[in-house]
Amino acid sequence: MTPSSFKQELLKKWVLGLQSCGSMAKEMSFLERKNAIKLSADIAMASARGGKTRWSRAVISSASKRDDSKLLVRNILGNEFERLMKASVGTPSCNKRFMSKKILRMSRGLRRLRRSTARRRVQASSIAKRMVQRRTQVLKSLVPGGESMDGFSLIEETLDYILSLRAQVDVMRCLADASERLKSK
Amino acid sequence: MERISCSSSRSGSCSENKPGIIEDTFEFGDGILMTGNLLQEATVPGSSFTALLGLPATQAMELLQEPQSTKAQPIPAPELWRDSRNEQETLGYSLNCSPTFPTNAALVERAAKFSIYAGAQESTDANSLPSNSSENSLKLKNEPADSESNPSSCLVFSDPATPSENQKSTKRKEREKKVKVSAKRSKNVEHGSSKTGEDKDGEKLPYVHVRARRGQATDSHSLAERARREKINARMKLLQELVPGCSKISGTALVLDEIINHVQCLQRQVEFLSMRLAAVNPRIDFSLDSLFAAEIGCLTSSSFPSAVTIEPLMWQQQQNQQQPMWEVDMLQRPAAWERGGSNSFLAHDNSLFSYNSANSVSLSSNQLKMEL
Repeated sequence: MTPSSFKQELLKKWVLGLQSCGSMAKEMSFLERKNAIKLSADIAMASARGGKTRWSRAVISSASKRDDSKLLVRNILGNEFERLMKASVGTPSCNKRFMSKKILRMSRGLRRLRRSTARRRVQASSIAKRMVQRRTQVLKSLVPGGESMDGFSLIEETLDYILSLRAQVDVMRCLADASERLKSK
Repeated sequence: MERISCSSSRSGSCSENKPGIIEDTFEFGDGILMTGNLLQEATVPGSSFTALLGLPATQAMELLQEPQSTKAQPIPAPELWRDSRNEQETLGYSLNCSPTFPTNAALVERAAKFSIYAGAQESTDANSLPSNSSENSLKLKNEPADSESNPSSCLVFSDPATPSENQKSTKRKEREKKVKVSAKRSKNVEHGSSKTGEDKDGEKLPYVHVRARRGQATDSHSLAERARREKINARMKLLQELVPGCSKISGTALVLDEIINHVQCLQRQVEFLSMRLAAVNPRIDFSLDSLFAAEIGCLTSSSFPSAVTIEPLMWQQQQNQQQPMWEVDMLQRPAAWERGGSNSFLAHDNSLFSYNSANSVSLSSNQLKMEL
């Protein structure tokens, strides 16, 4: 997908979402407006990406679970809604599998830790590993849907996510500048 | 060439190249076979943003040779524009194209847009060289420049991955063990080429072909580990190139720091921009009407990297009931994705758009045309 087509899709869907927001609630406070704008933008970005990346599916599924954004998701997605829902159905089961594996891993690690506390030697490699692990955790928390990803797919998703974020920022900045300029006229 | 083109990536998440994209990006009359095959193999269009990065040097050079297609330039992978000169000499191609790439950032983005799964392509490319010796000398010369800039041998699949993996890591060891390694490498490379040669229809080979390199453990576990690590490292390199200022940093943890920083920065920018937008209009869709009724000024500011121009076409004729048509032409980062025509698309948005100012619409559309 070229960036320009992505941006166009994003803009289209975002405008759709904004208008459905506007039609739903007439008077909104500043915060409400900001959240609605941001939500629309995020959902538009995720849906413009399609269901092909995990982060986009995660965004859409989490947004459709929340009450306040359910309708917005429906409006923006339109007919793709059903298809995307089917696509993201697999993830809860994967999540469970992943979480159970994680628990096993953690318990194994704890047992090993207790046994090896006698060894005081600090190895550089273990420090490095721990550093990387910690940062991977942070990255997982940043990328939507990142919790259930292994290292490799996390990197891929991050790549995609960064590109989409950049496109989103571009589109939003454009619109913001344009509307400010219009207002100042 | 056919081998190269055929061995293009196949993976579940591969080949995002929709036909339209291919036309966008590769606009040459000479059917680069790859594009044709990509089109055929585009089973899941747009599956991943990391599009085909794997244009090997030959094709990249060919692309470069198309002088007028500006799109040709950004296509090659980052390492291509970095080492283009090296590769030109070393790969023995007598193409005398000057790689005039617009900006690093643009290219990197572009490159990142294209997936890398065709690691095989690179290897097959290298394999298609006439003689082994020239190959070896290539690798020798290529190695220093190529040491950190080979994201295109980034691999989703193990089998296309392995030849290029072997290439990469053997290049690293080259300085110490030139002859033997190169001999082994040539064997690997031929092996890899035969592998990818068979791979014409995008079938996954059922198991990994990884050759043990000199002085390394040969049991399957460590080989698999190594293959996995190579995959991850290749992806990390791509990420490094994407995030500005990351390519100089060595060490995974610091690179991850930068990546995290970048993602947080982008997310914060989204927040701030949404605040700006909320501050500008008293109502959410307030600005949209007036924006679409008047001109969107982005296009006038040349300093803007991306611009949105909205040309309202048939607004006078329709009010709420019909579907408004407009053309949205988004000018992207300057040289990288310059497009001749504008994209037009239908937006189905009946009830929410209401445009009363027909006169201003026609006037502004004239203005838009003039500015364009």
